[in-house]
Amino acid sequence: MKKTYLRQSFDTGIIFGIVHIFCVLIAFNAMLGSLLAKIVNVTSSLTSPAVGALIAYAVILGLWAGIASALRQRELSDGKRLLASLVTGSSSGLLAAVLVGIFQLMLILNINPRDYLTNLSLPFMQACLYSLPGLLGILANFFTFLISAFVGGLLVVGWNLHGFASIRHQINNAPKNWIAKLRSGSAKKQLIQKYVFYALLFVLIAILPLEWGSYWNYVIGTVGLYVIMGLGLNIIVGLSGQLVLGYIAFFAIGAYTMALLNAPIPHNLMWGFWPALVLAILLAALAGFLLGLPLMRLRGDYLAIVTLGFGEIIRILLNSDLLTSFSGGPRGVQGIHGPTIFGQVFSDVNYMYLIILAVALAMYVYNRLQHSRTGRAWLAIREDETVARATGVNTNKYKLLALVIGAGFAGLAGAISAAMNQFIGPGDQSLMASINVLCEIIVGGMGNIPGTLLGAFALKGLPELLREVENFRMLAFGALLVAMMILRPEGLIPSQRPTLELPEETPPATSSTLTDAAKIKPPEENPHD
Amino acid sequence: MTENIIECREVTKIFGGLTAVNKVDVFVPKSSIFSIIGPNGAGKTTLFNCISGFYTPEHGEVYFEGEPLRGKTTDAIASMGISRTYQNIRLFSNLTTIENVLVGQHHRLRETWVDAILNTRRYQTEEKASIQEGVRWLNFVGLQGLGNTPARSMPYGAQRRLEIARALGSNPKLLLLDEPTAGMNPQETLEMTALIRRLRDEFGITIILIEHDMHVVMGISDHIAVLDFGLKIADGTPKEIQANPRVIEAYLGPGGAALAKKYSRNK
Amino acid sequence: MHHSPTKSIARKAVIAIMTADIPHDLKKKGNQLLKLIRPLLGGIVGLFLIYRLYVILIVEHPYGPDTWTRLLIAGLILGGVYSLIAIGYTLVYGILFMINFAHGDVMMLGAFGGYFVFEALNALKVGIDAKSNFLNVYPYYSIIIAFIVGMTVAALTGYFLEKIAYRPLRKAPRLVPLISAIGASIFLENAVELLFSPQLRNYTNPDILHRGSGWTIVINHSNVIVPYTGVFSFLLSAILLVIVYTIVRKTRLGRAMRAVALDKKTAALMGVDVDSTISQTFILSGALAGAAGVMFGIHNGLIYYYTGFIPGIKAFTAAVLGGIGNLPGAMLGGMFLGIVESVGPAALGIDFQLKDVLAFVILILVLIFKPSGLLGESLAEEKL
Repeated sequence: MKKTYLRQSFDTGIIFGIVHIFCVLIAFNAMLGSLLAKIVNVTSSLTSPAVGALIAYAVILGLWAGIASALRQRELSDGKRLLASLVTGSSSGLLAAVLVGIFQLMLILNINPRDYLTNLSLPFMQACLYSLPGLLGILANFFTFLISAFVGGLLVVGWNLHGFASIRHQINNAPKNWIAKLRSGSAKKQLIQKYVFYALLFVLIAILPLEWGSYWNYVIGTVGLYVIMGLGLNIIVGLSGQLVLGYIAFFAIGAYTMALLNAPIPHNLMWGFWPALVLAILLAALAGFLLGLPLMRLRGDYLAIVTLGFGEIIRILLNSDLLTSFSGGPRGVQGIHGPTIFGQVFSDVNYMYLIILAVALAMYVYNRLQHSRTGRAWLAIREDETVARATGVNTNKYKLLALVIGAGFAGLAGAISAAMNQFIGPGDQSLMASINVLCEIIVGGMGNIPGTLLGAFALKGLPELLREVENFRMLAFGALLVAMMILRPEGLIPSQRPTLELPEETPPATSSTLTDAAKIKPPEENPHD
Repeated sequence: MTENIIECREVTKIFGGLTAVNKVDVFVPKSSIFSIIGPNGAGKTTLFNCISGFYTPEHGEVYFEGEPLRGKTTDAIASMGISRTYQNIRLFSNLTTIENVLVGQHHRLRETWVDAILNTRRYQTEEKASIQEGVRWLNFVGLQGLGNTPARSMPYGAQRRLEIARALGSNPKLLLLDEPTAGMNPQETLEMTALIRRLRDEFGITIILIEHDMHVVMGISDHIAVLDFGLKIADGTPKEIQANPRVIEAYLGPGGAALAKKYSRNK
Repeated sequence: MHHSPTKSIARKAVIAIMTADIPHDLKKKGNQLLKLIRPLLGGIVGLFLIYRLYVILIVEHPYGPDTWTRLLIAGLILGGVYSLIAIGYTLVYGILFMINFAHGDVMMLGAFGGYFVFEALNALKVGIDAKSNFLNVYPYYSIIIAFIVGMTVAALTGYFLEKIAYRPLRKAPRLVPLISAIGASIFLENAVELLFSPQLRNYTNPDILHRGSGWTIVINHSNVIVPYTGVFSFLLSAILLVIVYTIVRKTRLGRAMRAVALDKKTAALMGVDVDSTISQTFILSGALAGAAGVMFGIHNGLIYYYTGFIPGIKAFTAAVLGGIGNLPGAMLGGMFLGIVESVGPAALGIDFQLKDVLAFVILILVLIFKPSGLLGESLAEEKL
């Protein structure tokens, strides 16, 4: 028994140590450090990080290691748990020390690994050694981890295990509980809640775009477009359960429709914003239809790859010389004319209102569909396609319908984006953009509107606020996808079915006006009641 | 004269090298309760799947009210009036109870996505009517007041009954129940048996059952077919089946007939 | 108010289409039409291909036999690489019924592994004069070491990939591990980008495998080079394919793999260690991808963090083409795809830029017309 827990702690430390080595090699420690430094108003760059920042990062990591290790040994006595965190601290510290030991060696031998490991510039390596000479830097790294881990263990033991477990439990369930509270109560109460919420929102929406400047209009506008796309993809993935990876292709079709109909080069058609918008949505929907028609029988994972391929085909074609005369080639289409109001070209405020309108429309349509026979059919398909079909749902038709409507949403977003940015190019239509939208709905919450909003804000808004994180954004996405699937596949805000208004007593038989496929009398009032 | 609602003629289903169902003839009269029994692996669920359109038999035909089912998709078959439940319950777990029943009603409704978006009269009337009827079915199977509960949080017995309610939502002429009393205690079994009887007595629905509980089978069936190793070895009323030595041997093994006679209470 | 008859028909038609609320007899005709779509599509594609091939090969003759030979050689080499990666997909799909989306990145990591080995051995001096580095003094050892390291890195990646991203999700619905795989792929690509920078890296081959050199044969008065790197890749692919086939068909591990692929539960009941078998499958498929990666680096020269993505998808296409789950199918599919990709653009007279499009189009066509692949799937049907 004794052996296993020490071994476990050692292994935990090794894992943290490996993670630490990885973080150092990708300069994550410097990034985190510069974030922390910003809080205390100190400057710290990625290439020459401040020593203090790196120490802060190491302390945090060490604390976490110690806490994790001590928490794991729930059954054991306090002393043993402290020992566990100590062991963890030492093994992770050991790895950290080895790493900076190698750094020191390279510094002494004047080897610059920068050609291979880009982040290891000389100043960087020196900072990792806390700018201490010789063995001191190495020992400092070791002890930072050891001490922080020990402190972590002390925190766990001192503050009593239950404190942490219940905090974690609360954090885990907070959104669930909070939402359950919001959603509890009669259907009528929910309706009133909804109206109040929307009224407040309306006031905010009316005022903010005029006040907060064009930068924010641009950022929130982009977030809005991502919300539209998130809702569209949610219809396909969240409601009907079809994983589609080339979603950005429909965005591209919508955007290029707007672009090619409203820019001087290459065609100089100048059809105007609104007709082009309608056409953009229709063409995107048509593309969804044509793509989906032969593919409806495919298994989920095949469908994903094929749609990926489709997205890539669109991107390559748009980028190729072959279609340059038609679609502008690698340089894209510039000078797209947007809508005008009272003779004046749309300003960023006008665009903001347009986007708000579009988002409202998208949310409205999504909501109506979600609570309809169509939405239920989609969910049935997602839950169990075989059984849905045997229950009478024409699965092929509904899957196709989801794809068409979802594609239409993307077309809408694309068209507005093209007009707003006055430019569209093939570079934006990459797989990564599709994955961005997918991440948004997976992290935020699959199949519901608040989840999509949360996802869009988190994935588009946050990076704007935290510029330092930009380099690590995609890395974080990847890790986040894996983590979410393992820990919380339904997303941060899980979907919950609505509370329908149900009649209290058994309603009389005559009120049924459904068409009956079978000529059997509907269930009558139970004569025994 | 009751015509047969289901006729299986020489239905044969082969998987790779294994003949799961071998030239089985089954004739199910309208508005009867028909049970299919047999030891494990006899091919009962396979036959069920042939009747409900999940599998297409290699040889032979299945006729529903005279129409062949070959080549029809399962949703078309559902529209014709066949509904089923499943051996290991397959509900739409993340939908609520009432919504499961509403999906059952899906093919009887005509509301489209455009209706939903535009909140047309058709949408409003159909939603209301379908919910009302759905609640009636829920109450009928004994799930009063549980309409808005997520299906996955229902207890086992309730889930079985919900599956039946969902199947009833389609207003079927024929209901296929795959081991409806599996895992139930005697009280629940009695309730389920009563429910099945009511379905036939009050609505004229034909019921085909796969069952292992012999009390249920013998007590409720008008007709029984016995399968063993893919072959139909007996066919008849409960009394006839009980006395059939081949059936007894299928369950108890060779020499079983003699054993059964020795311990039989039916002299 | 006068409505013209055509207007009202048009209105009815639009509403009918939009709501899919089509009257019954029209529906029947529509269904019949839909049933015709696939053969119709097939006919169109077939005719197009025949037409283009006719135009290019018979009418225009833009290329002589020397060019075709060059393209064919390139195709065979490419085919070998694709085959190795395709086998990895097929093995994993057969055993877990999931597409290992991150497989291409496993190949990429193998390529990087080999790259670093060559760089290190290039810098290692074993003699007095400036030119004698380990790489060129002991080229054979260098190559062997590079492959061992590359294959090990890839195999380990495959192992940890399964352990961290796939194993916890074994019981989850199908889409969940797929999304996890996508996340893992993104993570690996970006990790490599952050670690080693986005710049393209140039493989330093040992001199005996100098890129571009090879045996020269004369066809049609023109020198066609049969590259050393290419022959090497092709031979090595063939050897590895034989080894894998033997492992799957003849060894205990292979039997265990096939058993788990057919019926996981029963295999477990029979005493097969399912977890260990799955891990070993990932290790094996990773090793193959790693070898493919090193080969790719040696032959193509330039690698970077995104190198694995497109070959990954193409290899998946090859696996599907041959019938996913079917080992010889993956090999054949890889070869076929390599050759088609090389020779195709020239034979069809389309831009070489679009050769990737060719692979994707093949994928879509295969999945529309024969999703079980050319040699057919050897997987169990969905149990009800």
